[in-house]
Amino acid sequence: MAEPSIVFTDVNERQGAFHRRIFILGGVVAFGLFALTGRLAHLQVLQGGKYQKLSAANQYNFRLIPPPRGDILDRNGKVIAGNRPSFRVMIESNEVKNIDDTLNEVSYILPQAVTNRRRILRDLNQNQRFVPTIIASDLNWEDFSRVSLYANDIPGVVADMDQLRVYHYGGAFSHVVGYVSKINARDLEREKARPDYTEEEDKLLRHPSFRIGKTGIERAYDAQLRGTAGGRKVEVDAEGQVVAEDPQGMIPPKPGADITLTLDADIQMRALEVFGEDSGSAVMMNVNTGEVLCMTSTPAFDPNLFVSGIPTDAYRLLADYERLPLLDKAVGSTYAPGSTFKMTTALALLDAGINPAERVHCSGAFYFGRRFGCWKPGGHGSVDMVGAIKHSCDVYFYAMCNRAGIDRIARAGRKLGLEHIYPDLGIDGQKKGLLPDQEYVRKYRKKDPVWHPGETLSAAIGQGMTLVSPIQLATYTARIANGKKAVEPYLVNKIGGDLEDHMSKFKTIEIPEAHLAIIRDGMNRVSNDADGTAYRQSQLDLGPNIHMAGKTGTAQVRGYDKTGIRKANEWKYKDHGLFVCYAPVDQPKYALAVVVQHGVAGGRFAAPKAREIMRLALIKDPEIRKRITGPVNAAIDTGKLNADASASASAEVDVPVDPNARSD
Amino acid sequence: MVDSALSRPGQRERYDSKITQINWVFVICLIALASIGMLLQYSAGGMSWQPWAYKQLIVFCTCLVLTLCLALVDLRVWLWICYPFYTISLLLLVAVEVIGDVRMGAQRWLEIGSFSFQPSEFMKLAIVLGLARFYHEASAKDANLSWKLIIPALMIAVPTGLVMHQPDLGTALLIAFTGGAVMILAGLNWKIIAAAAAGAVVMVPIAFQYILHDYQRNRILTFLNPEADPSGTGYHILQSKIAMGSGGLLGKGLGLGSQSQLNFLPEKHTDFIMAGVCEELGFAGGFAVFALAGALIFMALRMASVSHSHFGRLAAAGTTATFALYVLINGAMVMGLAPVVGIPMALVSYGGSVMLTVMAGFGLILGVRVHRYQELPRQQSIFARFE
Repeated sequence: MAEPSIVFTDVNERQGAFHRRIFILGGVVAFGLFALTGRLAHLQVLQGGKYQKLSAANQYNFRLIPPPRGDILDRNGKVIAGNRPSFRVMIESNEVKNIDDTLNEVSYILPQAVTNRRRILRDLNQNQRFVPTIIASDLNWEDFSRVSLYANDIPGVVADMDQLRVYHYGGAFSHVVGYVSKINARDLEREKARPDYTEEEDKLLRHPSFRIGKTGIERAYDAQLRGTAGGRKVEVDAEGQVVAEDPQGMIPPKPGADITLTLDADIQMRALEVFGEDSGSAVMMNVNTGEVLCMTSTPAFDPNLFVSGIPTDAYRLLADYERLPLLDKAVGSTYAPGSTFKMTTALALLDAGINPAERVHCSGAFYFGRRFGCWKPGGHGSVDMVGAIKHSCDVYFYAMCNRAGIDRIARAGRKLGLEHIYPDLGIDGQKKGLLPDQEYVRKYRKKDPVWHPGETLSAAIGQGMTLVSPIQLATYTARIANGKKAVEPYLVNKIGGDLEDHMSKFKTIEIPEAHLAIIRDGMNRVSNDADGTAYRQSQLDLGPNIHMAGKTGTAQVRGYDKTGIRKANEWKYKDHGLFVCYAPVDQPKYALAVVVQHGVAGGRFAAPKAREIMRLALIKDPEIRKRITGPVNAAIDTGKLNADASASASAEVDVPVDPNARSD
Repeated sequence: MVDSALSRPGQRERYDSKITQINWVFVICLIALASIGMLLQYSAGGMSWQPWAYKQLIVFCTCLVLTLCLALVDLRVWLWICYPFYTISLLLLVAVEVIGDVRMGAQRWLEIGSFSFQPSEFMKLAIVLGLARFYHEASAKDANLSWKLIIPALMIAVPTGLVMHQPDLGTALLIAFTGGAVMILAGLNWKIIAAAAAGAVVMVPIAFQYILHDYQRNRILTFLNPEADPSGTGYHILQSKIAMGSGGLLGKGLGLGSQSQLNFLPEKHTDFIMAGVCEELGFAGGFAVFALAGALIFMALRMASVSHSHFGRLAAAGTTATFALYVLINGAMVMGLAPVVGIPMALVSYGGSVMLTVMAGFGLILGVRVHRYQELPRQQSIFARFE
């Protein structure tokens, strides 16, 4: 105090500088704290919601539970496609720090992990982060118990039980029921394109145990069979270990609906049995309801191979075999119908007002610009319409067909269900076939847009451009046999217990019953007159009440070289054998079409197969069995049938009908 | 009046009157802040005193006693130990360089018997004391612009370089910033400050490229874009932000923070404890920490500015700067505003070394306040004879 102030100038200067600068320091700190508090408020108050979601995503994990796929049953409840348990081990890549270390650890308890390492690493790269990758599936119990004991110690490795699709009948239904397989990029694209595609569904589709229907019923009704995924809400820690399970958060999966088919496993198996090594197809329908009872395509393949992924070499064998086991011949393959088409031509002739009693003399050939030969070189002599069907006389149809014209023939064919895709059948890959007419050649045959009358001759006997598939042939036969309703084939009876209605959609056949009666008479005679083309092959041996009516067909395969010599000894140049039939003759119930690819001739090779299949169907039917075992004439209600026939005949056109025509 | 009573000769040197001069509001704020930390360590330990909260309580109580004792230490004693303390700390840093323990990839620890410690912690205090001692002797002109400023510059640069080499970027930065703060407070010429700032700006890319280690480079790159590698180096920041953000206004409740309880949050009881505070106690908890820290800082600055001695002013303000840097750097780090450098939240984070340093610093600050009327003589410095 007493000291001179000059001594303090320096001190005061230092003090002044300090005081000025401490304000700056305070200001900087204040600014810093203000900024931090502001940031805190921004994070916690403004963005709180966003981070709460992220936090919950950290804390809770939804483990998807895939739904069991619906079973596919035959009409009697036999399981065609079901599920079986499969033990497997998966790796969850988002919970694994180092994949190599984890796989090494796994390989101590599961040697398969070593051999499959490349596949596992490839799958891990392809799968999205949250999608588990399968290390090994279908483990035996010993392996599985060892893995499930130790897996919990390896983070990210999960052992669980999975449902795997199993086809109990092996190849019997491989085409019609189809198969499921791992989803591929194309399937995923198609699913994503659906408007009602959800994120939940996306997770299910990417789940490693999910299988998507690839062909047949499995594909057509995939949405119904698939079900809805459930979920397990679990609390996990940072290492992905499950800390707690939330029982409230458990959503049980909704199993897919069971689908009951119209198919009969016994008939299907019988059809396969009679086909043996032969390539072809058999389709049987109920003529009243349209139910498809059997639908085979041989040779077949084992769909179980496709469920876990078929090895490439095995697939190549199937794909390269000349009898085309992968093709569904029942719907996806078309053939010239040959003589089985003659009923169509005959109906067109009746439609054109030709008297069925008019006779044509068959001398074994017909000349129309060139020589058109009958299948029987010696000729049939004088035949009327019924006789022409019975003997399958080509000359009768050659002579008559241009009086009906190709357009009328095509129209008759369409009324009977040819050149048509059946929407109710559901399954993909149906081929439409072809009934050529004037419009068709005008539109599509640019080189030669005019229909030549000579072409009608080929078309009339089911050769030339005409193409039909076995399912169309069966429907065609069913409509002839039904006579009233234009039945359409379908495969699904019930989905998840609900009956499917198909029958109310059936239209009426726009062909007079009287005309159809003549055709049926012809078919009856094919099988039951001693000189019919398929008499021997059509004897069901089910007593005097039950008979079948049929029509043979032989479709020429382009197997003639330039010199006109057939290379018949080679399988793939042999003719196709066809046979269509229905039974019982008096009260038709079942219609059947059999196509034996390169089966030489319908009567010899297709008809016996048809007989065996038809026999089993008739024996299995309880009503018909009663008639087989019952008294001889008890069930034949001729009066009623004839009354129906004459009523419709008088109402429609004036065509003479012999009421006794089918009483033999 | 108390002041008049204290103005009696010898009265101020009595310990019972010194105790009345301790800023007890400051001490209460200290206890409150440390309590929040212990609460979170209790929660992080799974709602248990073990393994962290109990130890932290013991450490804190010991340190608090030390703080109060240090507050009563005469400033002349502080002045006297400055250079020896600085020299010993520097020698220990050199010793670490030569014989130090390598832990978690860094050579930071020194072991004496069963007791291991990080000499870099002592340096945080020593740098303040050393510089305050230097400026106590220096004139205002020297402090502003003089060749003598090479001395404090070297006093900062040598330990910074040694710590950087360990490598411990966080502590090195803390030492450098603290030293710089003391130099600025002592009255460094603005031109030099501006030049140093410009030099730092130029140095940053060079240091980034050539001086920093890979992991340090990664941390900074991660800071700039944390979402680039969410499970790798960006994990800390991302999880910390999730923890804080999900806390909301009032938090999830003590022990109920899913991020910290389920180990999504790394270092949940040490460097990233603020994320836990904000998750479990919400914005309210985070705000409380910053408010208490701010209160401590401003009270400390006030206490520094009332000192009659230049040494007292600079030592108290320098220590305050150290604490402020802890709070600001850690706060910015856990909120994703700064790269992850291993700097804990002083008083709140678990850890004895930091607690000891900071609490000793607070002892000094309180001591400066207690001895605010004390005039310290300027001894003739070694430079005086050159003048």
